[in-house]
Amino acid sequence: MFSSGPTPPLSPILLGGLAARPLSPKLLQPALNTAMTTLSRRHPGLFERLSDLGTPVYLIDPVDLPLAFILTADGEHPTLRAARDGEGSSAIATIRGPMLDLLRLLEGKIDGDALFFSRSLVIEGDTEAVVALRNCVDGLEIDLMAEVTASFGPFAGPVRKVAQFGQGLFSRMADDLSILHRVLIAPTQRRVDAQGAKLRTLEEKINNAPKERSRGRSGARQRSVRT
Amino acid sequence: MSEKMELVCPAGTPASLHAAVDNGADVVYLGFRDETNARNFPGLNFNRKELEDGLIYAHDRGCQVYLAVNTFPEAGNFGPWHKAIDDAAALGVDSVILADIGLLDYATTKHPNLRRHLSVQASASNPDSINFYVDAFDVKRVVLPRVLSIPEIAALNKEIAVETEVFVFGGLCVMAEGRCQLSSYATGESPNINGVCSPASHVRYEDEGDRMVSKLGEFTINAFAEGEAAGYPTLCKGRFVTGGKASYLFEEPTSLNAASMLPQIAAAGVTALKIEGRQRGRANVAQVVSAFRRAADAVHAGEAVPELGLEAITEGQAKTAGAYEKSWR
Repeated sequence: MFSSGPTPPLSPILLGGLAARPLSPKLLQPALNTAMTTLSRRHPGLFERLSDLGTPVYLIDPVDLPLAFILTADGEHPTLRAARDGEGSSAIATIRGPMLDLLRLLEGKIDGDALFFSRSLVIEGDTEAVVALRNCVDGLEIDLMAEVTASFGPFAGPVRKVAQFGQGLFSRMADDLSILHRVLIAPTQRRVDAQGAKLRTLEEKINNAPKERSRGRSGARQRSVRT
Repeated sequence: MSEKMELVCPAGTPASLHAAVDNGADVVYLGFRDETNARNFPGLNFNRKELEDGLIYAHDRGCQVYLAVNTFPEAGNFGPWHKAIDDAAALGVDSVILADIGLLDYATTKHPNLRRHLSVQASASNPDSINFYVDAFDVKRVVLPRVLSIPEIAALNKEIAVETEVFVFGGLCVMAEGRCQLSSYATGESPNINGVCSPASHVRYEDEGDRMVSKLGEFTINAFAEGEAAGYPTLCKGRFVTGGKASYLFEEPTSLNAASMLPQIAAAGVTALKIEGRQRGRANVAQVVSAFRRAADAVHAGEAVPELGLEAITEGQAKTAGAYEKSWR
């Protein structure tokens, strides 16, 4: 959801999300249903590793899209639902981050811990449930391109070619937006860097000040002993 | 050119095992999905079928598999631990990694042909201790605690007649391993019996606007300012206020990275290099194993250790040489 979590990166996904804002998330539901059916078929026992937790519900919140996903990790019939927000979802945990990072996590292409340590990913609620989901998904060896194209049966080959072309376009657009982002924030960045340098100098002065006073007092005591 | 050191790599899931094998591991170590091993995290580890499949995958590619059964059985409940050792022998793992003397005795008696390694959890760090395990249980290798400097390891290797394995990357435990009670005190669950230090079920991250607070049980372990790299709330890596100043009293939330010291570690007579991180994802495992494969091969060929570029995936996004350089307070 746009209103929560870390600031979204300037990306094609953010632009797409802004454009799609007036649309209802329910329009995505048929595609999500197909995706979950395909995943369940290709990965039997999809959420078996979560069995100790019962049927946990997660709120997956892409910060660069105007919607959230509610994942019910049922061992037999898992569901993924798109919603405007997570209200009333009774999720035990929330995972927030840019959509691209969430997709890379799903494919195991990026280290979830590193994303979390760098604060790109935010988690709330039951940490154990989040860790379990991460381990579960990481163990599935999901290949999104293969999952998507598999559902097109005999047309899988042409669909893969179109998807690869789309990936290329997306990468180029992401690079262009990254350049644009750097250009836009450059003047502000220079000011922030200068302020940071000033702050560091002041901190050093403050840190050194008590030692100097202490050395001064100690020196005075030593002098008074000698005399 | 130095002796070729074995690269022992972590796997928390079959996917991570594939990643480790495919990226050059000589050995993959793993555990069953229960309290019999010291990485008993939710959703992690192997059931018997997954281990069976993993053994085929690894052995077909010339890679060995070690099974960690390195926690200490509860009084009156030896069943899961004994079964883990029996199944390891039946499935054909290449070695079991044990810490408890009762389990070492069980394995020695019941499965004399099953190779035994001494886990770091046994905290054997001097010749008397190590020689006891060799004499009593015929252990073939000792995983050394992460508190020894390289000269100490070299001196130790001259006084023992058994292979040694040392940690070179990953989470850094600075306590007497197998005896640390900090997490038990905070959560009521023992890393040494229940198999997990700072269990996620007791971990909370709370957003307080300008900072994120991490908690373990009822204890605040750290507070991270906006933009500051975060860490997992283990007590030994907490930031506490003493004398009016907040600081890391025991250890900073950094990861061990001893890549640059591999030539000295080889010269100290070490047989195997261990990468910590069964709880990390397969992307992490692939990256770290691939990097250390390059490093170990370079050392074996007598070349300089290349830059590995692993800073971005380490806890706290910073690294330390740990006890190898003895730079702690």
